[in-house]
Amino acid sequence: MAHRIRIAGTLLVLVLTGLLSAPTGAANASSSAAKALVGTFDLTAGSCAGTAATGTYFRMIYPGGTLTGGKFFDNPDSTCTGDFSYTLATPGTAGGLINGKYQPDPTPAFSSSGGALASSIVQPQAFTAIDFSISTNPTDPQTGLSVPAPLIKVKNGKLSGQVEAWSADWNNLHFNQGSPKPGGSEPGLTTSVSGTYNGRTHAFVLTWASEVVGGPFNGFTGYWHLQGTFKASKR
Amino acid sequence: MVSGRAESARSSTHPFPSKWTIGVLAILGAALIAMPAVFALFSRAPKGEQMIESFRPFMTSKRLTGFKVDIALVNAAVSQSEHVVVPYLDRAADAGGSGVVSLDVRHSGFGQFAMQWGQIDAHMNSLLDTVTNNLGNYDAVAALPSFSLFPWFFVTPGAVLLLLLIAVGLSRRRWTFVRWVLVVLGLGLVLAPVVFQMFQRAPKGGHMMTAFKTIETTGNVQTIQGYFGTMAIGQGGIRLELVPALEASGLTKTEVESRFPAVASLDNRWVHILNDMTPMIGAMSDNVANYQAMAALPPFALFPYFFVLPGILIAVIAGIAKQRAPSATEPIDP
Repeated sequence: MAHRIRIAGTLLVLVLTGLLSAPTGAANASSSAAKALVGTFDLTAGSCAGTAATGTYFRMIYPGGTLTGGKFFDNPDSTCTGDFSYTLATPGTAGGLINGKYQPDPTPAFSSSGGALASSIVQPQAFTAIDFSISTNPTDPQTGLSVPAPLIKVKNGKLSGQVEAWSADWNNLHFNQGSPKPGGSEPGLTTSVSGTYNGRTHAFVLTWASEVVGGPFNGFTGYWHLQGTFKASKR
Repeated sequence: MVSGRAESARSSTHPFPSKWTIGVLAILGAALIAMPAVFALFSRAPKGEQMIESFRPFMTSKRLTGFKVDIALVNAAVSQSEHVVVPYLDRAADAGGSGVVSLDVRHSGFGQFAMQWGQIDAHMNSLLDTVTNNLGNYDAVAALPSFSLFPWFFVTPGAVLLLLLIAVGLSRRRWTFVRWVLVVLGLGLVLAPVVFQMFQRAPKGGHMMTAFKTIETTGNVQTIQGYFGTMAIGQGGIRLELVPALEASGLTKTEVESRFPAVASLDNRWVHILNDMTPMIGAMSDNVANYQAMAALPPFALFPYFFVLPGILIAVIAGIAKQRAPSATEPIDP
């Protein structure tokens, strides 16, 4: 009898130990979920070789066009002499996009001639003779809607996330160029944020497209190509 | 005692309208309330107000003249570039001057623009002329009460009319008073268009809507957006190709400005032109749907009569309504 009690007790301990140490289904699911990167997407400046651009740049597509075939808007101030449709970007004072944080417009947001003054993500760059730049604000300046800070996640070397707050500033105007748009929609040629991330070298490429809704460029679509090296930081 | 009191009540002089009068007045009241719903005024009128307000900064003589001056400035620069600058550069190239580059590179951006400029110039001037010619019509429409209030200009008198009829239904003694209130209400509806000068202003609004029919379309807005892109390339060609080529040929900046003043003016004014015209393109683009909503309403010239006709009917029917005494079987008023 005592022997049977000891065996039962041992089995009970073994069962309880196994239950307490086994990972749960939920934990299993979370360990394979996309993980938010902590740090800054340091941008590589855009450059052109012939008619192709690398690094960080953006293009604008006319209404009715396609992301690959255009028609593309030519920026006469582009330094990509082989194809003026590429507007090359130079990293800003923060090095690039800080994941999970806002990089808002300065006050004032524009110079007296309408040139954008934001310089954290990218440096102001001439676009048809007036500087444009990028900012991310808690309240989107074009729509007036509250938007989350950009957040990019990685899973198995693939990047995803949202850049709802991505705002292009130019000529005293703001154009939301986020994906999804404030409120969550993806109108027209808008595509989700996607890209690649090398866990060893920390090299990344991040792309998305965003249709302009409202204003003088209504119906145009901006295609954004961010490239560089992710720099991790402590929480 | 009871029968004596009943006789006394029925013999009192409380005139009461015929059922026909009450019925027609009720129908008129219901029609006034229904009219905004029938014409979708609650959704369309605010859009019209938004359009009028969006256009307000641009619908001034000064602003419109400024746009014409900007277009003329571009035109002068294009003409001078084509007929004076390019030949000058060609002669400099033939003379073998230092820093002169090949003709194709020099002319590529500007050349494309120059080929399209005639069409752009004609279209933009036509558009600005149309808008300028409708400045008075816009002012007339903008002087009307806020469009968002217009649905209530029908609903409120309609609701008041029905409430008054209900009051009469509850107590016939009220008819004498209510009758004259209805006459005043009807006259008010007749006078409202006069007070707001709708007979003069509404037709002007109609003319403006007709004139803007070809302007406020998605296709036209996209055409104008395309012009902006072409103009930017052209100005870039002048600024970044021709002017540097002139300086490379040996001219100083001051000499460029004095020998080619139109080109220099455009170079100096380009940012201002962008600052000025870009919001106008934005207003045009943002109000295509608002224009369509307004255009779906009945012709503006008819709107005064949507007040006058019901007003006349209400005033006349209430004023000359046939009176009758209560019958012996009808209940006594409380």
